[in-house]
Amino acid sequence: MAPIAMPSALSYELLAKCSITKARAATLHLPHGPVPLPIFMPVATQASLKGLTPEQLEDVGCRLCLNNTYHLGLKPGQATLDAVGGAHKFQSWPHNILTVSFQMVSLLKLAKVTEEGVRFLSPHDGTPMLLTPEHSISLQNSIGSDIIMQLDDVIATTSPDLARMTEAMERSVRWLDRCIKAHKYPEKQNLFCIIQGGLDLDLRRACTAEMVARDTPGIAIGGLSGGEAKDAYCKVVDTCTALLPEKKPRYVMGVGYPEDLVVSIALGADMFDCVWPTRTARFGNAITAQGVLNLRNAAYSEDFSAIEAGCQCVCCRSQDEGGLGITRAYIYHVTAKETAGAHLLTMHNVHYQLNLMKLAREAIIGDRYPAFLREFFAELYDEKSKYPDWAVNALKGVGVDLLID
Amino acid sequence: MTDESTPSHLSQLPPEMLDFTILKRTTTLAPRLGRLSLSSRKTILTPGFLGNTSRGIVPHVSQDNFPKTGINGVYIALEDFVEKHPQKTPPIFQIEASDPLRRFIALPHDSLIVLGARRQPPIPSAATNTNSEIGILTSVGFRTISSEYYAAAARKLQPDIVVGLADIPFGQETIGSRRKDKMSDRTETWTRDIIAKRNTIEKGTPRYNVFAPILPIEKELQSWYLEHLLDDMVDKISGVAIYDSHLLDQLPEELQPLPRLSFDNPTSPQALLRQVGLGMDLFTVPFVTEATDAGIALEFTFPAPQKTNGAERRSLGIDMWQNEHSESVIPLTEGCKCYACTKHHRAYIQHLLGAKEMLGWVLIQLHNHEILSAFFAGIRNSIETNNFEQDVAAFEVFYEPKLPEKTGSGPRVRGYQFQAQEHGKSTKKNPKAYKPLSAPLNVFHGHQPNSKPEVKEVIDDEALVGLVGIENIGRTEQLERLRIEDDHS
Repeated sequence: MAPIAMPSALSYELLAKCSITKARAATLHLPHGPVPLPIFMPVATQASLKGLTPEQLEDVGCRLCLNNTYHLGLKPGQATLDAVGGAHKFQSWPHNILTVSFQMVSLLKLAKVTEEGVRFLSPHDGTPMLLTPEHSISLQNSIGSDIIMQLDDVIATTSPDLARMTEAMERSVRWLDRCIKAHKYPEKQNLFCIIQGGLDLDLRRACTAEMVARDTPGIAIGGLSGGEAKDAYCKVVDTCTALLPEKKPRYVMGVGYPEDLVVSIALGADMFDCVWPTRTARFGNAITAQGVLNLRNAAYSEDFSAIEAGCQCVCCRSQDEGGLGITRAYIYHVTAKETAGAHLLTMHNVHYQLNLMKLAREAIIGDRYPAFLREFFAELYDEKSKYPDWAVNALKGVGVDLLID
Repeated sequence: MTDESTPSHLSQLPPEMLDFTILKRTTTLAPRLGRLSLSSRKTILTPGFLGNTSRGIVPHVSQDNFPKTGINGVYIALEDFVEKHPQKTPPIFQIEASDPLRRFIALPHDSLIVLGARRQPPIPSAATNTNSEIGILTSVGFRTISSEYYAAAARKLQPDIVVGLADIPFGQETIGSRRKDKMSDRTETWTRDIIAKRNTIEKGTPRYNVFAPILPIEKELQSWYLEHLLDDMVDKISGVAIYDSHLLDQLPEELQPLPRLSFDNPTSPQALLRQVGLGMDLFTVPFVTEATDAGIALEFTFPAPQKTNGAERRSLGIDMWQNEHSESVIPLTEGCKCYACTKHHRAYIQHLLGAKEMLGWVLIQLHNHEILSAFFAGIRNSIETNNFEQDVAAFEVFYEPKLPEKTGSGPRVRGYQFQAQEHGKSTKKNPKAYKPLSAPLNVFHGHQPNSKPEVKEVIDDEALVGLVGIENIGRTEQLERLRIEDDHS
């Protein structure tokens, strides 16, 4: 199929490239304002980030968050979205929104995929539903998100069935063409393709070539973060980014652990999303540079220090510094008992993720990303022997040996 | 509750001394206007209300959102902080810094703190009161605390106001006269305890103000207590906490100048107006959070709008679960200045409730507190302009007598939140989050369903689990089997 010239509603402004790794720093200009890359995007699945007001989300520094097309399509539904005038107005969010098309891996057991689309039973009432590429784009047009994702055929990367994997990859390419054709507002919404192909690098290469030829404003690497080995994950990201045009944003879907983020950045990825930081907050888990703390542990009930020393989020800053001065002991006191406990830790965790991206970006711009990686791992693990092999190996592949200073 | 400039004579009082000025009163059993002030705290105009907290916060309102409520003072229950007692010293008492309670709950320095033993409304405790102890309910079960412990807690926590312990057998339908004598005797002893403890606080350290409880029994049966209150303690107390508003009728003359906190919890705006009409000053208003949890956005003003002839009585709130709001882009209440109404619309709030997103409760809670603030401001204005009686009559004609029935489900209920009489019921307090699908599922290419429920991308706020499974267990069993929550986590 011949490439289709596609309008774009974004501009990718490359600011710096790491001289050793493949890390890039950029500013992505989107319809609702510029966002810094690399970026972590919190997931507001149902048009709300776990108890936070849009203002609180804005205050932790977020300018681009996710909504889920499938969830918004079910509730509030397309008619409401049209009536209200799209998701920005619906949730009173003045900044950018990216809508994932389906993120089907987690829902696959409810679904059956045919060339036409995805058939599934509504989890609300069990009625059969069909989601086609055209319907997905139509919904995202109604949502009005700044970045929209193609409908893709996702199967678990761990599936041993190569024929099925190939079929899914090729179908995703065909569905991209249908999405491009159905897309009504390319001048104000950016359609991203999604590279599939499981853990098979040849399939990934073939898919990348097909996707790149379609010249979408941005490119996503999909189907990952589904329980595959981290080594395999890194190889796929590394392989795909090597084949991607420099002047386009690269989004690795479903990734959010801090180690995964900093390594993926070194492998040339720019954009990430994950429900983990916000979901884990509700169980009392605080993300810190020293690792995740489960503040429901009794050890924290008498710990009157900030959630993370030196953190600049509104919870951790002292009242003298204009913050709230929330302590670990207080989070222990309210977690899983009062909803506001979840709100507080959600703010901290999202702030942590966004700040990590900010620090990474500054390091790339200052061309000291390898040093940043060393500091990051040195802080997270008390000794080098504990560094995960996959991270050490992946970073070795891009010129950084974490084990030698 | 709007701020008023600090009265001039306040600077001559010790910094922690509460000043209550009655700005307007006519006779007893009539509404009155007052001003409760304490240096370095926001002034509370009365009739007014305190934010009713749970574990140190107004439910659903995180500390950074708290200023949006316009609340100038909060009510805090000690039972929310002492679950480790008596096995361990509760964490709150281990904070070395000054003003530990305020610091711990991250309350703004200018918000007034009123400390009581029990949540409002209190849940009847299976642990009975004794001569020296009262039964409480913590998040891990029933406990007792002694009067001495309570006084020591007050001294340590440095609240602005402490409500003295009252011996009230909550949940008991009839109380014999001998039991009532005991109530009176014990309450007197405990009031003396809290006053005595205050006197041990060194100079230079903030001293709490004491509100003495007035028991929900006939005046004659607590006459000893009241007499001694007048004889020995009246100059050492700064207010009264009244468990039965009808007793306002019989309040001794000497207690009239003191501010009156209602523990006779009103269940509707009308009930609240009746108490204001009897001269009550300060309220905790638990029905606000109850409405919020039910997804009901309050919608009433005082005075009520002009009634059009023949119109039906207006509802006191909007059930935001109803589908009719799903495309409505109007605010909860037209012209309301709250955060929810200025930033969001009904369609979104309806969506949030249906999607079990916590933000729904946040927005409704902010709105409901704004409605309540405006309601009290309206009450004060009405008293000021001598229209209170007529306005109450018009209000009762204009609005339905009760809040709308709850239709949707609220947030997960915790053990310390539900009423003890619900224990025996077999119905689950928190219905199952997932309904199994009736239709067969297409499992695809041998891909097994994920066994871990936490990886599902379904509505997962339901997973906000309580730490202790004290639901659906009988009361005595609860007491025996209770473990500190950390034993098994």
